[in-house]
Amino acid sequence: MSAVPSVAPDAISQLSAQELRRSVWRRWGLRSTVVIGWVVFVGVWYLFSSFLGQALLPPLHTVVNRAWELITEGGFGSNLISSVTRLVGGFLLALVAGTGVGLLIAYNDWWRNLLQGPLQLIISLPTISLAVMTLILFGISPLGPVLMTMLVAIPYITMNVAQGITGVDRKLIVMSEAFGRTRRQIVKDILVPSSILSTLGGARLAFAVAWRMELLAEVFASSQGIGFQIRRSFESYDTQAMLAWTVLFVAVMLLFENFVLRRIDRWAGRWRMQDWGANP
Amino acid sequence: MATVLIDNLTKIFPPTATHPSQVQALGGVNISVTGNVLVAILGPSGSGKTTLLNIVAGVEEPTSGTVRAVQDSVPAQISYVFQEPRLLPWRTVVDNMLYVQDRKSDRSRREAEFYLSMVGLSEVGDLYPSQLSAGMQQRVGIARAFLVNPDVLLMDEPFSHLDALTGRSLREYVQRIWLQTRKTALLVTHDVNEAVELADRIVLLRPGGVIYDDIPVDLPRPRFPDNPAVRDVQADVLRRFDSMGAAVQFGGARR
Repeated sequence: MSAVPSVAPDAISQLSAQELRRSVWRRWGLRSTVVIGWVVFVGVWYLFSSFLGQALLPPLHTVVNRAWELITEGGFGSNLISSVTRLVGGFLLALVAGTGVGLLIAYNDWWRNLLQGPLQLIISLPTISLAVMTLILFGISPLGPVLMTMLVAIPYITMNVAQGITGVDRKLIVMSEAFGRTRRQIVKDILVPSSILSTLGGARLAFAVAWRMELLAEVFASSQGIGFQIRRSFESYDTQAMLAWTVLFVAVMLLFENFVLRRIDRWAGRWRMQDWGANP
Repeated sequence: MATVLIDNLTKIFPPTATHPSQVQALGGVNISVTGNVLVAILGPSGSGKTTLLNIVAGVEEPTSGTVRAVQDSVPAQISYVFQEPRLLPWRTVVDNMLYVQDRKSDRSRREAEFYLSMVGLSEVGDLYPSQLSAGMQQRVGIARAFLVNPDVLLMDEPFSHLDALTGRSLREYVQRIWLQTRKTALLVTHDVNEAVELADRIVLLRPGGVIYDDIPVDLPRPRFPDNPAVRDVQADVLRRFDSMGAAVQFGGARR
């Protein structure tokens, strides 16, 4: 029988204190890298600004000041509402249509074969071509950006819905059937929750693509919205305003992504985080 | 009183990419189970045990033959304990149990908690399955099966995925609950000890899904593996099981 080495309680507490210190340092080290990333970004901006000149790339603080002016007196609110309304409209249409097409693809191989090609085609289409087509097909109207936003978002939602449903654990369906659950219950309690995370993942991806498309469509085919303001600033050689509009829109989208979409995602997948539990 | 009548049941699986020739899982099985008895279907891998249970549960169609599960001339309420727990990972333990119930009320919640306490899990109702060990999850599966107050209980190797100690303690739980509820039950297993410990009757199934023997187990309950009488019957069943192996060997397996 091997002897168990004895360790003095003091040594253990010293070890724990060391471990704790190390873990705190590690955590702060990781957090500081985020700050370092931003500092590097700002530094590079100023560096390029000094090389290129203020007219081509204004210093960051002037862009921020201009952005603040746009918020307080430059009609940022009305333009944002205009852009976001179209974006949300297109995105919701894509969510409905994409889910429907995704269900068809998951339903059988016939639908999969029929729809996979066109979806791949849409994913590969250059967004600039779509933006120009928006102008040709719909002229300057709110409808064009909405439909184009929907079009580019659909494949991402479709693919993820289909993947989520085909990935459902068949054994759970057999269990449900053995306990006499109805088809409706199986859809509501097995298929939907099984595929919801994949669908939300697709929705986040689609949203990221959609707002870029929306902005581009506005640049070409709109008389209001942030995309239109960017074009106007470009036409009047006002780089500062162009960057300020861009920064503001990106900031709003990032806030939405982080504080709304990611939270919904976390809420829907809360059961996945509960794996620290009992194991008697 | 519940009755399960299995009449000349045959199941042949058509050829697939992995099995180029058709496979006979069941070859004319006749079993009649009446009353509050627990019948074990004992057989080696490939003897069609799970297929038989799936057909009784109505989740698989037979090639020919019939299955009738009735309680006082009406279709019996069937419940199933699977090899793995098959819990919905996004639902808490209690919600998993309530999923298989038609009515969802405070009373059914209390019943769910009661059956959880029967398997020694009174404190885990609000946890998610991923927070439980494999043995605890299987106990939830057993509690869920009893919650629906079934007329017929089907159990498909419910202890086979667990380590020996957990499996043994779970057998005790099942025996205890079964003694209290006395449901008509079919237990599929390849473990002779398990069959003798739990069953009133053991049907030996050989590969190809053909009944080889039907052995009554007339032992007092509760039964424990260390009991000499239990060990004697286990030895007897094991002898028959081995002779079936020889018969299979000499007669030629069908698959």
